[in-house]
Amino acid sequence: MHHHKPLLNQRLSRREMLNITRCGFGSLAFMGMLGSSCKSRDKQSVDFLSQLATTPHYLPKAKNVIFLYMDGGVSQVDSFDPKPRLAKENGMDPTFKIDATQFNDNGKILQSPWEFKRYGESGMAVSELFPHIASCVDDLALIRSMVSNFPEHTNANYFLHTGSGLQGRPSMGAWINYGLGTENSNLPGYVVLDGGLVPPGGVDNFKNGFLPADYQASIMKTGEKPVANIQPDSSMAAFQQDKLAFIQKMDEKGQAKSDEVEAAIKNYELAYRMQSSVPELSEFASETRATQQLYGLFDEDPNTRSYGAQCLMARRLVERGVRFVELTCPYQKGIDRWDQHHGLKDGHERNAHAVDQPIAGLLKDLKSRGLLEETLVVWSGEFGRTPFAQGKDGRDHNPSAFSMWMAGAGIKGGTIYGRTDEYGYRVEENPVSIHDLHATILHLLGVDHKQLTYHFGGRDFRLTDVHGRVIKDVLV
Amino acid sequence: MRKVLTLKLFLIAIISGQVLLSCETKERASLPERVDFNYHIKPILVQKCYLCHGPDPSSREAGLRLDLAAGATRLLESGVTAIVPGSLSKSAVFHRITNSDPELKMPPPASNLELTDLEISLIKKWINQGAEFQPHWAFLPPKISNANLKSSIPEQIDAFLDEKMTEQRLSQAEPAEKYQLIRRLSYVLTGLPPGQKEIDAYLEADQPGAYELLVDNYLNDPAFGEKWASHWLDVVRYAETKGHEFDYEIQGAWRFRDYMIRALNADIPYDQLVREQLSGDLMVAPRLHPETGQNESILGTLFLTMTEGTHSPVDTKKDEADRIDNMADVIGKSFQGLTIGCAKCHDHKFDPIPTADYYALYGVLGSTRFSPIPAGNFKKKEEALQEVLQLKEQLKEMVGGAWEKPTTDSVPVLLVNQSQPVKATKDGNSGIVLGDFRGPDFQGWKTDGGAFGVGTTLGEPDFDIKTGELTGLKTGMASSRILGKGIYGALRSPDFKIDHAYLGVRARGKGGSIRVIMDNFQLISYPIYGGLDQKVNESDWENYIFDVSDWMGHEVYLEFLPGSYVRHTYRQDPDAYIEVAYATAFDRDWFYPEERSRYSPVNSLSQAVYRWEEGHPTAADVDYLNQQLTSGKLVRRFPESRKTRLGMDLLLAPIKDTVFIQGVSEGFARESPIFIRGNHMETEEQAVPRAFLPEILDAQDPFRDAGSGRREMVETILHPDNPLTARVMVNRLWYHVYGKGLVETVDNFGLQGKLPSHPELLDYLAITFREEGWSLKSMIKAMVMTDAFRRSTTSVNGEKDPENKYISHYPIRRIEAEAIRDAMLVASGALDSTLFGAPVPVHLTDFMQGRGRPGQSGPLDGNGRRSIYLEVRRNFLDRMMTTFDRPTPFNTFGKRDVTNVPAQSLFLMNDPFVAEQAGLMAARILAGKGQSTEERIREAYLRAFSRPPSASEIKAGKKFLASVPIHKETTGDSDPEAIALQAWKEYCHALFNMKSFIYLL
Repeated sequence: MHHHKPLLNQRLSRREMLNITRCGFGSLAFMGMLGSSCKSRDKQSVDFLSQLATTPHYLPKAKNVIFLYMDGGVSQVDSFDPKPRLAKENGMDPTFKIDATQFNDNGKILQSPWEFKRYGESGMAVSELFPHIASCVDDLALIRSMVSNFPEHTNANYFLHTGSGLQGRPSMGAWINYGLGTENSNLPGYVVLDGGLVPPGGVDNFKNGFLPADYQASIMKTGEKPVANIQPDSSMAAFQQDKLAFIQKMDEKGQAKSDEVEAAIKNYELAYRMQSSVPELSEFASETRATQQLYGLFDEDPNTRSYGAQCLMARRLVERGVRFVELTCPYQKGIDRWDQHHGLKDGHERNAHAVDQPIAGLLKDLKSRGLLEETLVVWSGEFGRTPFAQGKDGRDHNPSAFSMWMAGAGIKGGTIYGRTDEYGYRVEENPVSIHDLHATILHLLGVDHKQLTYHFGGRDFRLTDVHGRVIKDVLV
Repeated sequence: MRKVLTLKLFLIAIISGQVLLSCETKERASLPERVDFNYHIKPILVQKCYLCHGPDPSSREAGLRLDLAAGATRLLESGVTAIVPGSLSKSAVFHRITNSDPELKMPPPASNLELTDLEISLIKKWINQGAEFQPHWAFLPPKISNANLKSSIPEQIDAFLDEKMTEQRLSQAEPAEKYQLIRRLSYVLTGLPPGQKEIDAYLEADQPGAYELLVDNYLNDPAFGEKWASHWLDVVRYAETKGHEFDYEIQGAWRFRDYMIRALNADIPYDQLVREQLSGDLMVAPRLHPETGQNESILGTLFLTMTEGTHSPVDTKKDEADRIDNMADVIGKSFQGLTIGCAKCHDHKFDPIPTADYYALYGVLGSTRFSPIPAGNFKKKEEALQEVLQLKEQLKEMVGGAWEKPTTDSVPVLLVNQSQPVKATKDGNSGIVLGDFRGPDFQGWKTDGGAFGVGTTLGEPDFDIKTGELTGLKTGMASSRILGKGIYGALRSPDFKIDHAYLGVRARGKGGSIRVIMDNFQLISYPIYGGLDQKVNESDWENYIFDVSDWMGHEVYLEFLPGSYVRHTYRQDPDAYIEVAYATAFDRDWFYPEERSRYSPVNSLSQAVYRWEEGHPTAADVDYLNQQLTSGKLVRRFPESRKTRLGMDLLLAPIKDTVFIQGVSEGFARESPIFIRGNHMETEEQAVPRAFLPEILDAQDPFRDAGSGRREMVETILHPDNPLTARVMVNRLWYHVYGKGLVETVDNFGLQGKLPSHPELLDYLAITFREEGWSLKSMIKAMVMTDAFRRSTTSVNGEKDPENKYISHYPIRRIEAEAIRDAMLVASGALDSTLFGAPVPVHLTDFMQGRGRPGQSGPLDGNGRRSIYLEVRRNFLDRMMTTFDRPTPFNTFGKRDVTNVPAQSLFLMNDPFVAEQAGLMAARILAGKGQSTEERIREAYLRAFSRPPSASEIKAGKKFLASVPIHKETTGDSDPEAIALQAWKEYCHALFNMKSFIYLL
């Protein structure tokens, strides 16, 4: 029932893999764990097509994806979608029809507390919330006409991550790895950098669903032990290599053999390599002070430092060939993510401060290293917020319109796509669904979303279900 | 030299000749004598033709369907006939599939599908032989064609297997060594390694029945139920929380796990288990726990309620559709191996499941209501309640006997007007009565659980507890304390559509609640739905008002409960109760319904007493009798009543309901229309009569049950003509015993499922299963008593049959996640083999975050309990179970993945649990004083691998132990015991990491 081999990926058979990569633990210790793949990548001229583990459907533009997930839902009318009419009607009752909202405590029209200014050659308007990101607008394709199907966090999160509002489906990172395979066998292909906030719906947002377990996200933290069980207990660390050699020797002597057992033996070598390659990810000593500064690692705000570290680690991950990296937001006490049902001003300001400089730093750093050409950066929440107040000074969920942007590989910088009504409440032109977003991301990776299927429970499933349309207007 | 060369050439010629020969035979073998539709043709059609020429009309091309003879052989609009039996040249199919013109070729090149030469040859031969269509194999009843059956089931199984092996010219592997066999048997039957004593006894035994004795011992070990229950838990998407945003508890879910373990250990027949899981609440004589007297059957219904639960969905109708979809899908896969969920939006693309059949089942599940169900001592409670009812009757007879006797000739006929018209006043306020309990009955509302008794309180005699004096007859109300407080019960209305802005309930109580259940939605809470659940905590009558103006047109029912939900878990204090006078719906002002029966005529005292004694007095009768009582015209001194009252209190005291599960109860028959393209906002007009897969399981009438129709559904599943139920289950058993199903797709027996590798064997087992009274243990025993089960894992067939489809040797298998953990606990001696009980809280790591995270982590070692007792929180699944492929519990997962990922190696290498168990095992081994290193290595091997080490393994072990460096931080410099412990811990840890530990080699 399950096709375990990636559909697009003519991977090596187990035996072939064994023959190629077997070298035993003794020699492993002397191997440069990460050297080869990243050195060659530093040369911008390298045609990464030749490195892809697969034959894509189209010529891919992007090789990796960094998904900056804005948990809770950023207010579009306070960030990327200016609506002067809100200021004019501030404090008045909305005259338009309002849908049922999560809290149904709908108040008056609420103007944005922030000024908008135009930036860059494109003249894209950005609010004061994001002064640093504003300096990168010419690299962004802004979509102002996003819609979601769900006004509650959990369904909307599952929908954004898996293309279905129900729990238990594979996440897009899992789909992408299933489709394209991994590039760095020492690292997982799908990494979630946990900044402290796991979104409502829990780690199931990052799971493999009915895909085999290999495709689930590895949750990493920025710190000494980024991954669960990545280091042995200190009392057992020194002897580990000898012990593994002993285990391997005994296993090889073992009575019966099968491909499966051989593969399990080999798995230890990979795990051992991961032990060294994973902790190295968060050793920032090799980064220049200027780079660290760029990401906000010296900021006064610990949340900015924390998100900055995630962003820097994200760069290091894609540099090493990790296919899909998602960043969750830092946990800030008292302000519940971007979910400002009240206290919009304080909450959005603090959340924005945590992510603004790091994100701009990431974009600039990727660009200067030539990595932005092959990396797609996606910035989005699960929905937007209402242009009218919840209570006095908050905004409720709004799935009928929100803004998101993409930057990097294959993206036409400085583009604005779609339009909302005068209040930023509903989409008026070129609505973009979550399925469309997924189709576009897959397209940039060279994958036709209609052909990326997995047979489960009697039918072929797709990330985009039976929907999805590539948004060509934002592509180069 | 020359000679040698010639010889070589000769040999090559022979070898290549043989190769040629075998190729030819292969070719001939692959074109069968008689082409069979099910085995040869349909797999081709399903894969390559049905997307456009299958059962779903919405995607059908050229008006051609190739799944039915009639469709394939009729004259098409284009003037040709796709298949003319017996004639290739007249069959358009033949010309299209052999055409080289891309415009005409089938399948079209754009589809990326292509027929192989072999497939084309098969189709040709089939048409030539008459193009006979047959129904899908799994939809035909199983049959045994071989008349000469062996005397025992295991022998017959071997006979079927041997026959295929002979056909394929395969040799059989040697019998397994005893060590290999006992370890295999023990893991397969109990999920645990064999004990030292068992190993010794089995090795010494050489009488012929020794193996069977071993099998029987394992089957009778309580660990058997634990192992096999875990297989079924995968099928039912077992979890103890609802997932989603806050991961709320599924009340009492773990009792289902215990129920299943007990049932398997007691070998409760499978048909009974099917019945209980789908309709355990409807059993006339429920199965009781032999010791505690609890109702076992009803615990089965948790099967239905283990869906996820959405917190605050904005659209409850969609939420209900999703829940029901999950239930339908899980029912279909679990019991029938069918993917019913595929027919939600369109007719099934491959199987004969039209969308109408999906909504026929939707009706059944939509008229099933969620309900708290008490899980205490059922037997004692039922008996006590019966006695209480009798005592009440006695009291009434006592009173009636003392009162005037009626004369029978003057009994009037009473006309009761049930329906109350809409009352409209001139200022626009209007209202209707939903239920008025001031009369004698519940007006068609449903009670559940016993607390509300059999009718309202109207006319119930009220005695002064101290004097025994009759103080009066009660007025009418629905009361959950009609027998006494603390008993669970619910009173629920029929379904109705909201067409007034408000619902009103006049009620009083303590700790009780009134709930408006909209589209079966249960997780009622703020921000959106909080107002639909109101607590009743006033002993005086109050009007409870529900503003439902936002939900006009939604289907709802009202529910009165003596207890209430706290964080979506039902609680009921011993003195909780609720009483309700009436419920109404109105648009603006409170609507007060008239009490019609109060004014019906009372002709004489004797008639009033007569009706009262018969149990259906009118309110007027009761008023009248109360007047007579006050004015002294009726006897009111009943001192004996005190004793009876006391007796009732004594009976009631020990049977209060305190423990509940999330179960189901019957609603009112509710047929569903088809949702067009699965969209609940857009439905067809006509409702579909309820049924269970009528297209496949024909010869069933639409369900007429006034409740859900689940009873009829169960009968359809268990009907002797049902071709799937027995096959699907024996195949599941086979999969767990042999590592691969006879039908590999254990959850899919439809057209897209795999064909059975041994169809006759599968049918034989299915028929035998039913004939042997659906005994799971007997089937499992038969499967492990075969020669096939007892073969070595070493293949003797080289590259022939690389997938071991014909089971010429036993497969090498990785043991399940649960077994790996349990095996460590056994090896370390830390296993606590206590059975049953509340789950051990899940151990949380830093990497397990998110909303609904428990405040405290569970113990690292799970208190040494077997893995099946570890908590299953949907949003915080146990890290080890997940790493080793225990499925995420959202849908049926009858067949587990066996993945091989670095996280598994990292877990075994570095997880503190593994290190801790290695340390305990080391201490345990060192505890035996005065043993030599060799003896200790032997013990370690027996603990870890259930076999003694070889000489070279001992040598290597000694060398390893000597090479472990002293880790001063842990052991200190000179403590020899600590140093030894450190070395042995490393050694035991190494054993846990060897493949022999997690594989059945």
